[in-house]
Amino acid sequence: MSSHREAPAISKDPVADNTDTYAFVSPDDPGSVTIISNYLPLEAPFGGPNFFEFGDDVRYDINIDQTGDGTPDITYEFQFTTEVRNPNTFLYNTGPIDSIDSPNWNRRQFYSVTRVTKGSRVVLAADLPCPPCNIGPASTPKYDGLAAQAIHRIAGGHVVFAGQRLEGFYVDLGAIFDLGDLRPFQNLHIGMMAAAAGVNATNDFSVHCIALRVPKQELTRDGSVPRNPMDRSSVIGVWATASRQRALIRETNGLVQLAGDWVQISRLGNPLFNEVIVPMGEKDLWNSITPAGDREFLKYVQHPELASLLPVLYPGVFPKLAGITAARADLVAILLTGLPAGVVPGFQNYTGPKYADELRLNLAIPPTTSNPSPLGLIGGDAAGFPNGRRVFDDIVTVELRAIAGATYPLVDKGYKPDGAASLITDGLGRNSTRYLSQFPYLGTPQGGYQTAPLSTV
Amino acid sequence: MSDLTRRGFVKSSAGVAGAAASMTALGTLVTEQAEAKEGAHGSHPVVAYVGDPRNGEISVMSGNREVRVRDRKLAARIARAAR
Repeated sequence: MSSHREAPAISKDPVADNTDTYAFVSPDDPGSVTIISNYLPLEAPFGGPNFFEFGDDVRYDINIDQTGDGTPDITYEFQFTTEVRNPNTFLYNTGPIDSIDSPNWNRRQFYSVTRVTKGSRVVLAADLPCPPCNIGPASTPKYDGLAAQAIHRIAGGHVVFAGQRLEGFYVDLGAIFDLGDLRPFQNLHIGMMAAAAGVNATNDFSVHCIALRVPKQELTRDGSVPRNPMDRSSVIGVWATASRQRALIRETNGLVQLAGDWVQISRLGNPLFNEVIVPMGEKDLWNSITPAGDREFLKYVQHPELASLLPVLYPGVFPKLAGITAARADLVAILLTGLPAGVVPGFQNYTGPKYADELRLNLAIPPTTSNPSPLGLIGGDAAGFPNGRRVFDDIVTVELRAIAGATYPLVDKGYKPDGAASLITDGLGRNSTRYLSQFPYLGTPQGGYQTAPLSTV
Repeated sequence: MSDLTRRGFVKSSAGVAGAAASMTALGTLVTEQAEAKEGAHGSHPVVAYVGDPRNGEISVMSGNREVRVRDRKLAARIARAAR
Protein backbone atom coordinates (compact mmCIF):
# COMPACT_ATOMS: atom_id res chain seq x y z
CA MET A 1 0.00 0.00 0.00
CA SER A 2 1.05 3.60 -0.05
CA SER A 3 2.65 3.13 3.33
CA HIS A 4 0.15 0.99 5.21
CA ARG A 5 1.87 -1.75 7.19
CA GLU A 6 4.93 -1.12 5.02
CA ALA A 7 7.65 -2.01 7.51
CA PRO A 8 7.98 -4.90 9.98
CA ALA A 9 8.01 -2.87 13.19
CA ILE A 10 5.34 -0.30 12.38
CA SER A 11 3.01 -2.98 11.00
CA LYS A 12 2.61 -4.07 14.63
CA ASP A 13 1.79 -0.53 15.80
CA PRO A 14 -1.11 0.69 13.64
CA VAL A 15 -1.97 3.69 15.82
CA ALA A 16 1.38 5.21 14.84
CA ASP A 17 1.47 3.84 11.29
CA ASN A 18 1.51 6.74 8.82
CA THR A 19 -0.46 5.49 5.80
CA ASP A 20 -0.58 8.45 3.42
CA THR A 21 0.61 12.03 3.26
CA TYR A 22 -0.88 14.61 0.91
CA ALA A 23 0.09 18.22 0.19
CA PHE A 24 -1.62 20.42 -2.38
CA VAL A 25 -2.73 23.97 -3.02
CA SER A 26 -6.31 24.05 -1.77
CA PRO A 27 -8.57 24.03 -4.84
CA ASP A 28 -11.28 25.98 -3.03
CA ASP A 29 -8.86 28.36 -1.29
CA PRO A 30 -5.79 28.77 -3.54
CA GLY A 31 -4.09 31.11 -1.09
CA SER A 32 -3.55 28.16 1.20
CA VAL A 33 -2.02 24.71 1.25
CA THR A 34 -3.77 21.65 2.63
CA ILE A 35 -1.62 18.96 4.19
CA ILE A 36 -3.16 15.65 5.19
CA SER A 37 -1.47 12.92 7.17
CA ASN A 38 -3.31 9.64 7.70
CA TYR A 39 -2.74 6.90 10.26
CA LEU A 40 -4.32 3.59 11.30
CA PRO A 41 -4.48 1.45 8.16
CA LEU A 42 -7.49 -0.63 7.13
CA GLU A 43 -9.98 0.38 9.81
CA ALA A 44 -12.95 -1.96 9.50
CA PRO A 45 -16.04 0.24 9.94
CA PHE A 46 -17.62 -2.17 12.43
CA GLY A 47 -14.50 -2.40 14.61
CA GLY A 48 -16.10 -1.85 18.04
CA PRO A 49 -16.71 -1.71 20.88
CA ASN A 50 -13.39 0.08 21.17
CA PHE A 51 -13.60 2.01 17.93
CA PHE A 52 -10.48 3.43 16.35
CA GLU A 53 -8.82 6.54 17.73
CA PHE A 54 -5.50 8.34 17.76
CA GLY A 55 -2.89 7.35 20.34
CA ASP A 56 -2.65 9.55 23.42
CA ASP A 57 0.90 8.22 23.67
CA VAL A 58 1.88 9.12 20.11
CA ARG A 59 3.06 12.49 18.82
CA TYR A 60 1.97 13.12 15.25
CA ASP A 61 4.03 15.63 13.27
CA ILE A 62 3.71 17.35 9.90
CA ASN A 63 7.10 18.63 8.79
CA ILE A 64 7.99 21.40 6.35
CA ASP A 65 11.41 21.82 4.73
CA GLN A 66 11.82 25.36 3.38
CA THR A 67 15.51 25.20 2.57
CA GLY A 68 16.07 21.84 0.88
CA ASP A 69 18.35 20.40 3.54
CA GLY A 70 16.08 17.50 4.47
CA THR A 71 15.40 18.75 7.99
CA PRO A 72 12.23 20.41 9.26
CA ASP A 73 12.09 24.21 9.38
CA ILE A 74 8.49 24.07 10.62
CA THR A 75 6.80 21.23 12.47
CA TYR A 76 3.12 21.08 13.36
CA GLU A 77 2.72 18.79 16.35
CA PHE A 78 -0.56 17.08 17.18
CA GLN A 79 -1.11 15.44 20.57
CA PHE A 80 -4.27 13.73 21.73
CA THR A 81 -6.06 13.16 25.02
CA THR A 82 -8.91 10.72 25.54
CA GLU A 83 -11.70 11.42 28.01
CA VAL A 84 -13.96 8.64 29.31
CA ARG A 85 -17.20 9.94 30.75
CA ASN A 86 -18.36 6.73 32.36
CA PRO A 87 -15.82 3.97 33.01
CA ASN A 88 -18.55 1.69 34.33
CA THR A 89 -20.00 0.80 30.93
CA PHE A 90 -18.45 -1.11 28.06
CA LEU A 91 -20.25 1.09 25.56
CA TYR A 92 -18.65 3.63 23.23
CA ASN A 93 -21.96 5.47 23.26
CA THR A 94 -25.04 5.06 25.42
CA GLY A 95 -27.45 6.62 22.92
CA PRO A 96 -27.41 8.55 19.66
CA ILE A 97 -24.48 10.92 19.21
CA ASP A 98 -26.12 13.94 17.62
CA SER A 99 -23.36 16.44 18.37
CA ILE A 100 -19.68 16.15 19.17
CA ASP A 101 -20.36 17.17 22.78
CA SER A 102 -23.25 14.73 23.15
CA PRO A 103 -23.52 13.30 26.68
CA ASN A 104 -24.29 9.96 25.02
CA TRP A 105 -20.75 9.75 23.66
CA ASN A 106 -18.70 8.02 26.30
CA ARG A 107 -15.22 8.08 24.86
CA ARG A 108 -14.21 11.41 23.36
CA GLN A 109 -10.86 12.55 22.09
CA PHE A 110 -9.31 16.03 22.08
CA TYR A 111 -6.07 17.40 20.67
CA SER A 112 -3.67 20.28 20.62
CA VAL A 113 -1.82 21.80 17.66
CA THR A 114 1.62 23.30 18.24
CA ARG A 115 3.74 25.08 15.64
CA VAL A 116 7.45 24.53 16.19
CA THR A 117 10.14 26.49 14.40
CA LYS A 118 13.79 26.82 15.26
CA GLY A 119 13.76 28.29 18.74
CA SER A 120 10.00 28.76 18.99
CA ARG A 121 6.98 26.74 20.12
CA VAL A 122 3.53 28.25 19.71
CA VAL A 123 0.39 26.40 20.76
CA LEU A 124 -2.07 27.26 18.02
CA ALA A 125 -5.00 25.53 19.70
CA ALA A 126 -5.81 23.11 22.49
CA ASP A 127 -8.74 20.94 23.56
CA LEU A 128 -10.09 20.65 20.03
CA PRO A 129 -12.68 17.85 19.82
CA CYS A 130 -12.46 15.01 17.30
CA PRO A 131 -15.61 13.51 15.79
CA PRO A 132 -16.69 9.99 16.71
CA CYS A 133 -16.22 7.07 14.37
CA ASN A 134 -19.12 6.35 12.04
CA ILE A 135 -20.90 3.54 13.84
CA GLY A 136 -24.31 3.37 12.22
CA PRO A 137 -27.63 5.17 11.88
CA ALA A 138 -28.73 4.49 15.46
CA SER A 139 -25.50 5.76 17.04
CA THR A 140 -24.17 8.37 14.64
CA PRO A 141 -27.11 9.70 12.64
CA LYS A 142 -26.33 12.61 10.31
CA TYR A 143 -22.64 11.75 10.39
CA ASP A 144 -21.65 14.48 7.94
CA GLY A 145 -22.94 17.07 10.36
CA LEU A 146 -20.96 15.54 13.20
CA ALA A 147 -17.79 15.62 11.15
CA ALA A 148 -18.43 19.22 10.12
CA GLN A 149 -18.55 20.21 13.79
CA ALA A 150 -14.99 18.90 14.09
CA ILE A 151 -13.58 21.27 11.46
CA HIS A 152 -11.93 24.01 13.48
CA ARG A 153 -10.74 27.44 12.42
CA ILE A 154 -7.87 28.27 14.75
CA ALA A 155 -5.21 30.92 15.27
CA GLY A 156 -3.22 32.23 12.33
CA GLY A 157 -5.77 31.45 9.65
CA HIS A 158 -5.36 27.70 10.01
CA VAL A 159 -8.15 25.19 9.57
CA VAL A 160 -7.77 21.78 11.15
CA PHE A 161 -9.58 18.46 11.39
CA ALA A 162 -8.56 15.24 13.13
CA GLY A 163 -10.67 12.13 13.02
CA GLN A 164 -11.95 9.21 10.98
CA ARG A 165 -12.30 9.56 7.20
CA LEU A 166 -12.85 7.19 4.34
CA GLU A 167 -9.64 5.79 2.87
CA GLY A 168 -8.71 7.84 -0.19
CA PHE A 169 -5.91 5.65 -1.46
CA TYR A 170 -7.15 3.05 -3.93
CA VAL A 171 -5.09 0.01 -4.83
CA ASP A 172 -5.57 -3.62 -5.84
CA LEU A 173 -3.59 -5.08 -2.97
CA GLY A 174 -4.73 -8.63 -3.49
CA ALA A 175 -3.36 -8.62 -7.02
CA ILE A 176 -0.18 -6.67 -6.40
CA PHE A 177 0.93 -8.80 -3.49
CA ASP A 178 0.12 -11.95 -5.44
CA LEU A 179 3.40 -11.70 -7.37
CA GLY A 180 2.50 -8.43 -9.04
CA ASP A 181 -0.40 -10.00 -10.89
CA LEU A 182 -2.10 -6.83 -12.17
CA ARG A 183 -5.55 -8.03 -13.17
CA PRO A 184 -5.92 -5.97 -16.39
CA PHE A 185 -2.64 -7.47 -17.63
CA GLN A 186 -2.64 -10.87 -16.00
CA ASN A 187 -2.99 -12.55 -19.41
CA LEU A 188 0.59 -11.39 -19.89
CA HIS A 189 1.71 -12.37 -16.39
CA ILE A 190 3.55 -15.60 -15.69
CA GLY A 191 0.28 -16.81 -14.09
CA MET A 192 -1.47 -16.55 -17.50
CA MET A 193 -5.04 -15.89 -16.33
CA ALA A 194 -7.61 -13.99 -18.32
CA ALA A 195 -7.48 -10.22 -17.95
CA ALA A 196 -9.94 -8.80 -15.42
CA ALA A 197 -10.98 -5.55 -13.83
CA GLY A 198 -9.07 -4.24 -10.83
CA VAL A 199 -10.44 -4.64 -7.30
CA ASN A 200 -10.05 -1.83 -4.79
CA ALA A 201 -8.80 -3.59 -1.67
CA THR A 202 -9.24 -0.50 0.52
CA ASN A 203 -12.90 -0.13 -0.43
CA ASP A 204 -14.99 1.00 2.58
CA PHE A 205 -12.04 0.90 4.97
CA SER A 206 -11.24 4.05 6.90
CA VAL A 207 -8.20 5.79 8.32
CA HIS A 208 -7.62 8.41 10.97
CA CYS A 209 -6.84 11.69 9.29
CA ILE A 210 -5.09 14.85 10.41
CA ALA A 211 -5.85 17.63 7.94
CA LEU A 212 -4.33 21.08 8.24
CA ARG A 213 -4.88 24.10 6.02
CA VAL A 214 -2.12 26.70 6.22
CA PRO A 215 -1.77 30.10 4.51
CA LYS A 216 0.93 29.88 1.83
CA GLN A 217 2.98 32.69 3.27
CA GLU A 218 3.47 30.75 6.50
CA LEU A 219 5.22 27.99 4.59
CA THR A 220 7.68 29.96 2.45
CA ARG A 221 11.14 30.84 3.70
CA ASP A 222 10.67 34.58 3.09
CA GLY A 223 7.02 34.81 4.12
CA SER A 224 5.88 35.63 0.60
CA VAL A 225 3.11 34.18 -1.56
CA PRO A 226 4.99 32.61 -4.48
CA ARG A 227 4.01 33.78 -7.96
CA ASN A 228 6.81 32.42 -10.16
CA PRO A 229 6.77 28.64 -10.63
CA MET A 230 10.37 28.68 -11.85
CA ASP A 231 11.66 30.31 -8.67
CA ARG A 232 13.19 27.67 -6.40
CA SER A 233 11.88 29.45 -3.33
CA SER A 234 8.37 28.56 -4.54
CA VAL A 235 8.99 24.92 -3.58
CA ILE A 236 8.59 23.37 -0.13
CA GLY A 237 9.20 19.83 1.06
CA VAL A 238 6.58 18.02 3.17
CA TRP A 239 6.58 14.79 5.13
CA ALA A 240 4.81 13.43 8.18
CA THR A 241 6.01 11.35 11.10
CA ALA A 242 4.86 9.65 14.28
CA SER A 243 6.90 9.31 17.44
CA ARG A 244 6.66 7.50 20.75
CA GLN A 245 8.51 8.12 23.98
CA ARG A 246 11.63 6.04 24.40
CA ALA A 247 10.55 4.11 27.49
CA LEU A 248 7.39 2.27 28.50
CA ILE A 249 7.10 0.44 31.80
CA ARG A 250 4.21 -1.96 32.38
CA GLU A 251 2.91 -1.80 35.92
CA THR A 252 1.26 -4.85 37.44
CA ASN A 253 -2.11 -3.08 37.73
CA GLY A 254 -2.64 -2.79 33.97
CA LEU A 255 -1.29 0.73 33.76
CA VAL A 256 1.80 1.83 31.89
CA GLN A 257 4.32 4.55 32.61
CA LEU A 258 5.92 6.49 29.76
CA ALA A 259 9.08 8.52 29.84
CA GLY A 260 11.93 9.81 27.81
CA ASP A 261 12.55 11.63 24.56
CA TRP A 262 10.25 11.30 21.60
CA VAL A 263 11.63 8.73 19.17
CA GLN A 264 10.46 8.68 15.55
CA ILE A 265 8.97 5.35 14.48
CA SER A 266 7.02 6.18 11.31
CA ARG A 267 7.67 8.49 8.36
CA LEU A 268 6.05 9.22 5.03
CA GLY A 269 6.89 11.62 2.24
CA ASN A 270 6.47 10.15 -1.23
CA PRO A 271 3.93 7.35 -1.37
CA LEU A 272 5.31 3.84 -1.76
CA PHE A 273 8.91 4.92 -1.05
CA ASN A 274 9.46 2.79 2.02
CA GLU A 275 7.01 0.17 0.82
CA VAL A 276 8.42 -0.54 -2.64
CA ILE A 277 11.88 1.04 -2.83
CA VAL A 278 13.46 0.25 0.54
CA PRO A 279 14.30 -3.43 1.20
CA MET A 280 12.80 -5.20 4.19
CA GLY A 281 15.99 -5.23 6.23
CA GLU A 282 16.18 -1.42 6.22
CA LYS A 283 12.55 -0.35 6.41
CA ASP A 284 12.51 0.10 10.19
CA LEU A 285 15.69 2.15 9.98
CA TRP A 286 14.17 4.33 7.26
CA ASN A 287 11.16 5.02 9.46
CA SER A 288 13.43 6.27 12.24
CA ILE A 289 15.45 8.94 10.44
CA THR A 290 14.84 12.32 8.82
CA PRO A 291 14.95 12.82 5.05
CA ALA A 292 18.41 14.36 5.47
CA GLY A 293 19.74 10.82 5.86
CA ASP A 294 18.21 9.44 2.69
CA ARG A 295 21.45 9.31 0.72
CA GLU A 296 21.80 5.91 2.33
CA PHE A 297 18.82 4.75 0.26
CA LEU A 298 19.88 6.38 -3.02
CA LYS A 299 21.05 3.10 -4.50
CA TYR A 300 17.60 1.58 -4.13
CA VAL A 301 16.06 4.45 -6.08
CA GLN A 302 18.74 4.26 -8.74
CA HIS A 303 18.21 0.52 -9.20
CA PRO A 304 14.71 -0.31 -7.92
CA GLU A 305 13.98 -3.97 -7.34
CA LEU A 306 10.57 -3.70 -9.00
CA ALA A 307 12.14 -2.54 -12.28
CA SER A 308 14.05 -5.79 -12.45
CA LEU A 309 11.01 -7.87 -11.47
CA LEU A 310 8.60 -6.54 -14.11
CA PRO A 311 10.42 -8.12 -17.08
CA VAL A 312 10.46 -11.43 -15.20
CA LEU A 313 6.81 -11.35 -14.15
CA TYR A 314 5.66 -10.24 -17.60
CA PRO A 315 7.89 -12.17 -20.03
CA GLY A 316 8.56 -10.33 -23.27
CA VAL A 317 6.56 -7.25 -22.25
CA PHE A 318 9.36 -5.05 -20.91
CA PRO A 319 12.48 -5.76 -23.03
CA LYS A 320 13.59 -2.12 -23.09
CA LEU A 321 13.16 -1.76 -19.34
CA ALA A 322 15.26 -4.88 -18.93
CA GLY A 323 17.97 -3.20 -20.97
CA ILE A 324 18.37 -0.22 -18.65
CA THR A 325 21.55 -0.68 -16.64
CA ALA A 326 22.28 2.94 -15.76
CA ALA A 327 21.15 4.54 -12.52
CA ARG A 328 17.56 5.75 -12.74
CA ALA A 329 18.19 9.48 -12.61
CA ASP A 330 14.52 10.06 -13.47
CA LEU A 331 13.36 8.35 -10.29
CA VAL A 332 16.03 10.09 -8.24
CA ALA A 333 14.74 13.44 -9.45
CA ILE A 334 11.09 12.56 -8.88
CA LEU A 335 11.59 11.13 -5.40
CA LEU A 336 14.75 12.58 -3.90
CA THR A 337 15.56 16.03 -5.30
CA GLY A 338 12.57 17.24 -7.27
CA LEU A 339 12.59 17.90 -10.99
CA PRO A 340 14.93 20.75 -11.93
CA ALA A 341 13.98 23.43 -14.44
CA GLY A 342 14.38 22.40 -18.05
CA VAL A 343 13.11 18.84 -17.71
CA VAL A 344 9.38 19.53 -18.04
CA PRO A 345 8.59 22.84 -19.79
CA GLY A 346 7.26 25.44 -17.36
CA PHE A 347 7.65 23.22 -14.33
CA GLN A 348 10.14 22.53 -11.58
CA ASN A 349 9.97 21.38 -8.00
CA TYR A 350 13.67 21.16 -7.32
CA THR A 351 14.85 21.71 -3.77
CA GLY A 352 18.57 21.31 -4.39
CA PRO A 353 21.08 18.49 -4.55
CA LYS A 354 20.33 17.04 -1.11
CA TYR A 355 18.78 13.59 -1.47
CA ALA A 356 15.66 13.61 0.69
CA ASP A 357 12.37 11.78 0.35
CA GLU A 358 9.80 14.57 0.59
CA LEU A 359 6.64 15.54 -1.20
CA ARG A 360 7.78 18.62 -3.10
CA LEU A 361 5.09 21.18 -3.73
CA ASN A 362 5.51 24.19 -5.98
CA LEU A 363 3.22 26.74 -4.34
CA ALA A 364 3.15 29.01 -7.40
CA ILE A 365 1.35 26.46 -9.53
CA PRO A 366 -2.40 27.02 -9.19
CA PRO A 367 -4.76 24.13 -8.51
CA THR A 368 -6.43 22.49 -11.47
CA THR A 369 -10.13 22.95 -10.79
CA SER A 370 -11.54 21.65 -14.07
CA ASN A 371 -10.98 18.00 -14.97
CA PRO A 372 -7.74 17.47 -13.06
CA SER A 373 -5.81 14.41 -14.21
CA PRO A 374 -5.30 11.75 -11.50
CA LEU A 375 -2.07 10.96 -13.35
CA GLY A 376 -0.70 14.34 -12.32
CA LEU A 377 2.37 15.54 -14.14
CA ILE A 378 2.61 12.52 -16.46
CA GLY A 379 -1.04 13.18 -17.32
CA GLY A 380 -0.24 16.79 -18.23
CA ASP A 381 -1.56 18.22 -14.94
CA ALA A 382 1.24 20.03 -13.12
CA ALA A 383 -0.93 20.55 -10.02
CA GLY A 384 -0.74 16.85 -9.19
CA PHE A 385 1.83 14.28 -8.13
CA PRO A 386 4.81 14.52 -8.04
CA ASN A 387 4.07 18.20 -7.51
CA GLY A 388 2.86 17.48 -4.02
CA ARG A 389 0.04 14.95 -3.96
CA ARG A 390 -3.74 15.33 -4.13
CA VAL A 391 -6.12 12.92 -2.45
CA PHE A 392 -7.36 11.46 -5.75
CA ASP A 393 -4.03 11.15 -7.54
CA ASP A 394 -3.57 7.66 -8.99
CA ILE A 395 -0.31 6.99 -7.25
CA VAL A 396 -0.14 3.28 -8.06
CA THR A 397 -0.45 3.85 -11.79
CA VAL A 398 1.93 6.81 -11.85
CA GLU A 399 4.65 5.02 -9.92
CA LEU A 400 4.19 1.73 -11.80
CA ARG A 401 4.61 3.58 -15.08
CA ALA A 402 7.57 5.58 -13.82
CA ILE A 403 9.36 2.46 -12.60
CA ALA A 404 8.44 0.68 -15.85
CA GLY A 405 10.43 3.31 -17.71
CA ALA A 406 7.80 5.82 -18.83
CA THR A 407 9.73 8.69 -17.22
CA TYR A 408 13.21 7.56 -18.24
CA PRO A 409 13.14 9.73 -21.43
CA LEU A 410 13.23 12.75 -19.09
CA VAL A 411 16.90 12.00 -18.56
CA ASP A 412 17.70 9.97 -21.71
CA LYS A 413 16.06 11.49 -24.77
CA GLY A 414 17.07 8.54 -26.91
CA TYR A 415 15.24 5.97 -24.78
CA LYS A 416 11.95 4.69 -26.18
CA PRO A 417 9.89 3.07 -23.42
CA ASP A 418 8.17 -0.25 -23.83
CA GLY A 419 4.61 0.17 -25.04
CA ALA A 420 3.33 -1.31 -21.80
CA ALA A 421 5.09 1.37 -19.74
CA SER A 422 2.43 3.92 -20.63
CA LEU A 423 -0.42 1.43 -20.15
CA ILE A 424 0.41 -0.49 -17.01
CA THR A 425 -2.07 0.02 -14.17
CA ASP A 426 -3.83 -1.92 -11.45
CA GLY A 427 -7.08 -1.02 -13.17
CA LEU A 428 -8.43 1.46 -10.63
CA GLY A 429 -9.10 5.19 -10.72
CA ARG A 430 -10.42 8.09 -8.68
CA ASN A 431 -13.96 6.71 -8.93
CA SER A 432 -12.83 3.70 -6.92
CA THR A 433 -13.59 5.63 -3.73
CA ARG A 434 -15.33 8.84 -2.67
CA TYR A 435 -14.02 12.32 -1.93
CA LEU A 436 -15.30 15.69 -0.82
CA SER A 437 -14.79 18.81 -2.90
CA GLN A 438 -13.92 20.80 0.21
CA PHE A 439 -11.82 20.44 3.36
CA PRO A 440 -10.92 17.84 4.58
CA TYR A 441 -11.39 16.37 1.07
CA LEU A 442 -11.40 12.71 2.12
CA GLY A 443 -14.84 11.15 1.99
CA THR A 444 -17.34 10.33 4.71
CA PRO A 445 -16.27 7.14 6.48
CA GLN A 446 -18.43 4.12 5.89
CA GLY A 447 -20.72 3.31 8.82
CA GLY A 448 -20.24 0.02 10.62
CA TYR A 449 -23.91 -0.94 10.45
CA GLN A 450 -23.99 -0.24 6.73
CA THR A 451 -20.98 -2.43 5.91
CA ALA A 452 -21.03 -6.03 4.69
CA PRO A 453 -18.04 -8.28 5.34
CA LEU A 454 -15.46 -8.86 2.67
CA SER A 455 -16.47 -11.12 -0.23
CA THR A 456 -14.77 -13.32 -2.79
CA VAL A 457 -13.75 -11.94 -6.18
CA MET B 1 1.75 10.09 35.14
CA SER B 2 2.81 12.63 37.75
CA ASP B 3 5.82 14.85 37.18
CA LEU B 4 7.48 13.18 40.11
CA THR B 5 7.04 9.76 38.58
CA ARG B 6 8.11 10.96 35.17
CA ARG B 7 11.22 12.50 36.59
CA GLY B 8 11.93 9.33 38.48
CA PHE B 9 12.24 7.25 35.37
CA VAL B 10 15.69 6.89 33.93
CA LYS B 11 16.74 4.71 31.09
CA SER B 12 20.31 3.97 31.87
CA SER B 13 22.97 4.92 29.39
CA ALA B 14 26.39 3.37 29.70
CA GLY B 15 27.47 6.35 31.75
CA VAL B 16 24.55 6.08 34.12
CA ALA B 17 25.11 2.34 34.43
CA GLY B 18 28.69 3.03 35.35
CA ALA B 19 27.66 5.54 37.97
CA ALA B 20 25.16 3.08 39.40
CA ALA B 21 27.78 0.38 39.59
CA SER B 22 29.93 2.65 41.71
CA MET B 23 27.21 2.70 44.35
CA THR B 24 28.34 -0.14 46.55
CA ALA B 25 25.01 -1.65 47.62
CA LEU B 26 23.28 -1.63 44.30
CA GLY B 27 26.38 -2.24 42.25
CA THR B 28 27.37 -5.30 44.22
CA LEU B 29 23.88 -6.72 44.20
CA VAL B 30 23.31 -6.30 40.50
CA THR B 31 26.75 -7.41 39.51
CA GLU B 32 26.80 -10.52 41.68
CA GLN B 33 23.32 -11.63 40.68
CA ALA B 34 23.92 -10.92 37.04
CA GLU B 35 27.18 -12.79 37.01
CA ALA B 36 25.81 -15.71 38.95
CA LYS B 37 22.59 -16.25 37.04
CA GLU B 38 22.61 -14.28 33.81
CA GLY B 39 26.19 -13.93 32.77
CA ALA B 40 25.21 -13.78 29.14
CA HIS B 41 23.21 -10.60 29.82
CA GLY B 42 26.31 -8.55 30.35
CA SER B 43 25.90 -6.94 26.95
CA HIS B 44 22.27 -5.91 27.47
CA PRO B 45 21.40 -2.32 28.32
CA VAL B 46 20.49 -1.74 31.96
CA VAL B 47 17.26 0.11 32.78
CA ALA B 48 16.62 1.54 36.23
CA TYR B 49 13.02 2.40 37.09
CA VAL B 50 12.18 4.48 40.10
CA GLY B 51 8.41 4.34 40.46
CA ASP B 52 8.30 6.55 43.51
CA PRO B 53 11.53 8.19 44.71
CA ARG B 54 10.04 8.65 48.17
CA ASN B 55 10.04 4.94 49.01
CA GLY B 56 13.45 4.32 47.48
CA GLU B 57 12.50 1.21 45.52
CA ILE B 58 14.39 0.80 42.28
CA SER B 59 13.66 -1.82 39.64
CA VAL B 60 16.79 -2.66 37.71
CA MET B 61 16.17 -4.49 34.45
CA SER B 62 18.49 -6.07 31.93
CA GLY B 63 17.56 -8.61 29.31
CA ASN B 64 14.66 -10.62 30.75
CA ARG B 65 15.73 -10.12 34.38
CA GLU B 66 14.46 -7.65 36.91
CA VAL B 67 15.92 -7.00 40.34
CA ARG B 68 14.27 -4.80 42.95
CA VAL B 69 16.42 -2.99 45.47
CA ARG B 70 15.60 -0.35 48.09
CA ASP B 71 18.03 2.53 48.33
CA ARG B 72 16.54 5.90 49.21
CA LYS B 73 19.72 7.84 48.54
CA LEU B 74 20.27 6.31 45.13
CA ALA B 75 16.61 6.73 44.20
CA ALA B 76 16.76 10.38 45.17
CA ARG B 77 19.97 10.83 43.23
CA ILE B 78 18.49 9.27 40.10
CA ALA B 79 15.38 11.42 40.46
CA ARG B 80 17.53 14.53 40.72
CA ALA B 81 19.49 13.52 37.61
CA ALA B 82 16.25 13.27 35.63
CA ARG B 83 15.18 16.83 36.41
